[in-house]
Amino acid sequence: MGKTSAVVLALTVMTGRVAAQQPFDQGKYPAFDGQWTRVGPIERYDPTKPYARGQEAPLTPEYQALFDANLAEVARGGIGDDPVYRCIPEGMPRAMNLVFPMEIVITRDTTYLLMENPSNLRRIYTDGRAFPTDESPSWMGYSIGRWIDENGDGRYEVLEVETRNLKNPRTFDSSGLPLHKDAQTVVKERFFLDRTKPDTLYDEITTYDHALTRPWSVTKTMHRESKPVWVETICGENNLHVNIGNQIYMLNDAGELMPIKKDQPPPDLKHFNMPKK
Amino acid sequence: MGLVRTAVLTGLAWAFAAGAVLAHHSFAMFDTEHPIEIAGTVREFRWVAPHTVLVVEVKGQDGTVEHWTLEGGTPSLLRREGMTATSLKPGEEIVVRVNPLRSGAPGGSYQAPQVRFRDGRPVVAPH
Repeated sequence: MGKTSAVVLALTVMTGRVAAQQPFDQGKYPAFDGQWTRVGPIERYDPTKPYARGQEAPLTPEYQALFDANLAEVARGGIGDDPVYRCIPEGMPRAMNLVFPMEIVITRDTTYLLMENPSNLRRIYTDGRAFPTDESPSWMGYSIGRWIDENGDGRYEVLEVETRNLKNPRTFDSSGLPLHKDAQTVVKERFFLDRTKPDTLYDEITTYDHALTRPWSVTKTMHRESKPVWVETICGENNLHVNIGNQIYMLNDAGELMPIKKDQPPPDLKHFNMPKK
Repeated sequence: MGLVRTAVLTGLAWAFAAGAVLAHHSFAMFDTEHPIEIAGTVREFRWVAPHTVLVVEVKGQDGTVEHWTLEGGTPSLLRREGMTATSLKPGEEIVVRVNPLRSGAPGGSYQAPQVRFRDGRPVVAPH
């Protein structure tokens, strides 16, 4: 290789590296930073409607029947189909019910939604990639985002996100509102700030799921806290709810099982050497 | 056991929406429609996730003592309501409104605004 070619190659490599490492212009992105807390009641997929049946979810007849059976179990004192008492993540779209606060961090290739509840980290890839075909499903799913400059002023106002590859079990909220067992849920979102109230963030969510007769759209509203407080929340630290067989019990202060429902049977102890009476 | 329970008090300090959800998961095992009030001594206050645990020693009229295990909000939620890990200490006399387990076992749920000291002071000042 001649001296000139070597210089050109070196420049090309350097230029390529420089292009790949262009400084991240934070000023082009909306001010999503800070701590965001839920506006509205806790644990409602649609924050404008009452809990449980009041949500008027567009469920198929099959899934409406499952939901009704779940509510009957809840009325008897059971936990019903809500799975997160076991300390598994809420998953999407329920995570956006935002029981706990959330922080948004925008980087060049990825936007992070960091929720106080552990394992509720969302990575939204904005580097132009396609959905992978070999990714293991997860409760928060695989999210691809796209920044939108809606008014052409050279700055982004909206983050559009599509989330796929979700893992079960999941429900819309703690009432047990079901998603389909096939886990083929697709969630589409639009995040944007209020035009006149910069500390108000919206998330327009549409969920596509085979348990629904049509896509179900809601709008979440979040408020930016001026004096954020963060508290470590490790769900497995002291969970008093115990699932044994098909029953759920509660532990008391001595670590003993207590029934949660009237006339609830005790666990099956056939594998223990019990003293003969 | 004849527990020291009274009918549910009324009043603004106790007026928390019946059936209100205080957790990130179902609390259906706790009977929000038939709350009770217990008076006793703090045995333990665990400032832990996913839910704080308040253990209250309740003395029955026959002198026997029963331990009530009560689940409350997470430290995350309670701290934002003004409660801390030292808001309740062992030995303190309190009165708590409890949504009891539907099974009748001595357990239930509590909410921070529904705990007061025996002299009437609230543990968390009403917002």
